[in-house]
Amino acid sequence: MWKRRAFEAAAVLARWALGAFFVYMGLKKAMHPEEFLKLARQYEMVHSPFLLNSIAAGLPWFEAFCGTLLLLGIAVRGTALTLVAVLVPFTWLVLRRALALQALRAIPFCAVKFDCGCGAGEVFICGKLAENLILILVSCWLLSGIGRAFCARHALFSGKSSRG
Amino acid sequence: MIVVEAAIVVIAGLGIGLAANELSPRGLALSRNYFPGGTNHVPAAPRPVQAVPVPAGTNESPEAVQLSERLRGKGLQELKRSHVEILLRDPRNQDGRLVFVDARNPDDYEEGHIPGAYELDPYHPEKELATVLPICLVAEEVVVYCTGGDCEDSDTAAILLREGGVPGQKLFVYGGGFTEWEAAHLPVETGARNSGINSQ
Repeated sequence: MWKRRAFEAAAVLARWALGAFFVYMGLKKAMHPEEFLKLARQYEMVHSPFLLNSIAAGLPWFEAFCGTLLLLGIAVRGTALTLVAVLVPFTWLVLRRALALQALRAIPFCAVKFDCGCGAGEVFICGKLAENLILILVSCWLLSGIGRAFCARHALFSGKSSRG
Repeated sequence: MIVVEAAIVVIAGLGIGLAANELSPRGLALSRNYFPGGTNHVPAAPRPVQAVPVPAGTNESPEAVQLSERLRGKGLQELKRSHVEILLRDPRNQDGRLVFVDARNPDDYEEGHIPGAYELDPYHPEKELATVLPICLVAEEVVVYCTGGDCEDSDTAAILLREGGVPGQKLFVYGGGFTEWEAAHLPVETGARNSGINSQ
C-alpha cells in the first residue's frame, strides 16, 4: 500500500515538475519571440513566412498552456499525449541539426553545442537528448493515468474530478 | 477518448497561443516576412567546411567567405572592420553624412553599441524606422551591423532601409558585427545614442 502511495506521490511531483518546466521554458521563449523565430527557422520545417511566424508566435504560449494544464491537473492524459506528440518530432529535428553541425565542425557528437530553441540557450547535444528522453518518459508515465491526486479535472470527459 | 482530449488541448492551446501573441507587445506579425531578400530559410544543412570555396590569394576563413556570399546573394555590400574603424573617425560621422545603424535588440543596444549608432530593431521597425529612415535617406553612407557572423538582422535592417528608398550603393553591412568590434577593444558607447558614456 505504501509503495503505491509513494508511486502516486512521485507521479504527482513528476507532473508538477513537468508542468513547471514547460511553463518556464514556454514563457522564456514567449518573451523574445523574434529570437525563437530565428531559431525555429534553422530547422527548415516550413518555408512559408506565415507558417513559420505562426509556429514561432504560438508554440511558446502553447507550451506554457500545456504546462499550466499539468500543474493544475486538467486533461492530464490528453496533455501528456500532446507533449509526446510534440517532443518526439522536435527531438528528431534537434538530432538532425546536431548531426549536421557535427559534420560541419568535425567534432565528436557530444561536443556539439548549439541553441536548439528549447529556451535554455546553448546546450550540449547529448545532455539535451537525455533531457528530452526524460521528458518523453515522464509524459508517457502520466499518459498511463497515474498521478491523479491534486488534479482539478484529470480527465475532461469522465466527469470525475479528484482532489488530494 | 485520450486522443479527443489531446485534440482539444491542441486546439485550445493553439488558439490561446495565437491570441496571446496578438495581445503581447512583443508579438510577431504573422503575415510579415521577417527574412526578406531571400528565401525564408537558411541554406539546407550547414555545408562541410571543405566544400566552401576560398578565393585564391585570400586568407579568409570559410565562415567569412560564406558571410560574403550571403550578403552578395541579397545584393548587399560588405564592410570589413578595418574600413569601419576608418569610417568611425570620418568627419562625416559628425554631421550626419555617415550613419551607423545597430540592428540588434534594444537590450543589446543599451549594453553597448558603436558610438553614435542609431537603433533599428528589424523585428519591430515601427518603433524606430520613422526616425532612422529620413536620416539614412540624406546620408552619403549607411553602415548597418548586428552581432556578426550568422546574425542576419543587419541584412534584414539593411533591406528594410533599401525598401524604404535608401539607394543600395550607399548601404553597407559590417559583417564582423558588434562581437568582432568589442573583441577588438574598439570604442563602445553605452545607454542611449550620444550618451557620451564610453566603455572602451
